[in-house]
Amino acid sequence: MNFELSGEDAAFRDEVRAWFADHREQIEHTRAVDWEAGGEAFERYRAWERALFEAGLGAVTWPVEYGGRGASMVQQAILNEEYTLADAPNRINRLGLGLLGPTLMVYGTPEQKARHLPRILACDEIWCQGYSEPNAGSDLASLRTRAVREGDEFVVNGQKIWTSLGRFGDWIFTLVRTDPAAPKHKGITFLLVDMHSPGIEVRPLIQIDGSARFAEVFFTDVRVPVANVVGRVDDGWTVAMALLGFERGGGLYGPALFNRILRDVVELSRREPRGEGVAADDPDVRRRVAQSYIETRVYELTVQRALTRLARGEAPGPEASLNKLYWSEMKVRLDELALDILGPRAELGPGSPQAENDGGWYGDYLYARASTIFAGTSEVQKNIIAQRVLGLPRE
Amino acid sequence: MDFDFSSEQYLLRDTVRDLLRRECTPGAVRAAWASESGRSPERWRKLADLGVVGLTVAEEHGGAGMDEVDLVLILEEAGRSLLPEPLLETTAVGAPLLARSGSDTLRAEWLPRIAAGDATVTVGLAGSPYVADATADLVVLERQGALHAVTQDRLTLQPLRSVDRARRLFSVTAELGDDTLLSTSAAVARWAFDHAAAATAAELVGVAGAMLDMTVAYVKQREQFGRRIGSFQAVQHKLAETLLLVDSARSAVYYAAWALANDTPDASIAASVAKAYASDAERRANAEALQLHGGIGFTWEHDLHLWLKRGKALELQYGDADLHRRRIADWIYATAG
Repeated sequence: MNFELSGEDAAFRDEVRAWFADHREQIEHTRAVDWEAGGEAFERYRAWERALFEAGLGAVTWPVEYGGRGASMVQQAILNEEYTLADAPNRINRLGLGLLGPTLMVYGTPEQKARHLPRILACDEIWCQGYSEPNAGSDLASLRTRAVREGDEFVVNGQKIWTSLGRFGDWIFTLVRTDPAAPKHKGITFLLVDMHSPGIEVRPLIQIDGSARFAEVFFTDVRVPVANVVGRVDDGWTVAMALLGFERGGGLYGPALFNRILRDVVELSRREPRGEGVAADDPDVRRRVAQSYIETRVYELTVQRALTRLARGEAPGPEASLNKLYWSEMKVRLDELALDILGPRAELGPGSPQAENDGGWYGDYLYARASTIFAGTSEVQKNIIAQRVLGLPRE
Repeated sequence: MDFDFSSEQYLLRDTVRDLLRRECTPGAVRAAWASESGRSPERWRKLADLGVVGLTVAEEHGGAGMDEVDLVLILEEAGRSLLPEPLLETTAVGAPLLARSGSDTLRAEWLPRIAAGDATVTVGLAGSPYVADATADLVVLERQGALHAVTQDRLTLQPLRSVDRARRLFSVTAELGDDTLLSTSAAVARWAFDHAAAATAAELVGVAGAMLDMTVAYVKQREQFGRRIGSFQAVQHKLAETLLLVDSARSAVYYAAWALANDTPDASIAASVAKAYASDAERRANAEALQLHGGIGFTWEHDLHLWLKRGKALELQYGDADLHRRRIADWIYATAG
């Protein structure tokens, strides 16, 4: 047992840290706008992705043959930590880089790999994920978007929802039903669709924070070449679950973010007036701050245990559900603590002179509320833990 | 970075687990409840022969010369099997404390006998109204900020009855003097408390893990409404949440052991994180174990209450979760902003 980085990993950390320091200006320039505004703002984020790509930091765990540097999961975690510490911009192509890319490497045809992997890496193609539908959320396999084969093409009709980056996507990887007569997990096909195809309509969805980071995507007689099927026709569930494995394996959410939020919460409690003094004098606040320290510290340690296993080549298993359940629920508690420390001031939104951080704590809190829903709700994670870790019987 | 144990450490853990499966069955724990001394010299001897009792004693004194990281998995097993004997007091706290603060004479006199299994040592730290296993050959007492090492001829013991009758608790009156003085250092007292808290956290993880395993096994076979109750989502979610707490507690407990073994600057805080988190995790496992066993778990006949009562005792000793949260808060706010 030791907590020192190996020489190689320490060198990698130093390289990454130095690179971020050298790109301070570009980081600030990019973060000065929100990609959601579109146009030039979005292009700043694309330029940032290209800078990462050119530095060999775009997709470090991708194998060298696909343009990555074959870095380990530990190095990916180091990069994630440095990324957070550098306050670097949100990644606009993480769905392509983190999910579709690795899936194509396993299930894609040589043509699909040659066509898409370099464009994902260079951020020439922005990818969206077309899984959820209005009536297929946690019960994903009940999806109803249809694809009917006509010669060398599929004709797609239906609707996807909660599509992140939907307004900006060039391509979308979708699950479509190709055999309605088969049991629901069969008869699904994993299909790559060009979002510039005729018959695709994207409608922005305004979220509870007022932004439009996701969208609905409607398909009306959209023609897609059969060559865009990943894996076998009617066997898309296998590919979909493999992709989910990459999402969970790569999704060891970086502890640095939570450590920083905690530091900010402590700082807030030291100066927020409470009675005659400040919030930090209140024993209830102190107790909750201490509990938040405990939870963030234990999270960091648990991630280090998981990384040790991944570094040995053990595949990420259903334990990933424990990780997601832990951090998403902890994040809500952290943000709730910040709002409670602010008291009535917490509800003051952007533009209010008395708002703390221009209402940012409330925005973070709202986003945290999404994290217990997306990528498998807390309830779905608990089902997975109960059935696949504890071995309890299905209903 | 390698946050895991070596194959040798796991091998030792497995060896101890096998021994305790044979020697420390629920029946054996019930025997400890009922017997005069509550202790099995035979079991202690077997642990000593394995090198477990003297694990933290230096090789020059006949021990294994190992550290807190080597010991933590063993303590988890002691908790899992509800070991009645004072492994925590002797091996995790008492012997290392003598090694750290005792005179050469004291160390030469006691450490070889402890390692050989011929003598036990226990501790009574500030904040505790009792001393566990105060019939030990040597009792380290914290009084008025000083630590004393006291032999039985200077002690008057009053037995106290614990709800967990395998625990043997005593109120202790001691004739202290310069000749019993071990240390007046507050840092040493804190060091002892940190070790006791971290070791208790390790036992708590073992107790909680055992209760979780028993409960998972029970809900897999118990049928109501024509189906196994473990198939109900209400039951599954309780157990999933409990597993998350217990497994996360392991991270805290293992790190605390490493931090103490390496005397890192955050060792005290790591011990507090471990004790607070493990106490809460065990409390949840304790609650769900009885709730999901239902009426049968509330009977004297069923073994579950042996774990429920040990867990509750360990939750509260060497600082409950709230005490450790206060300690952490004081540390956070004492650090310069």
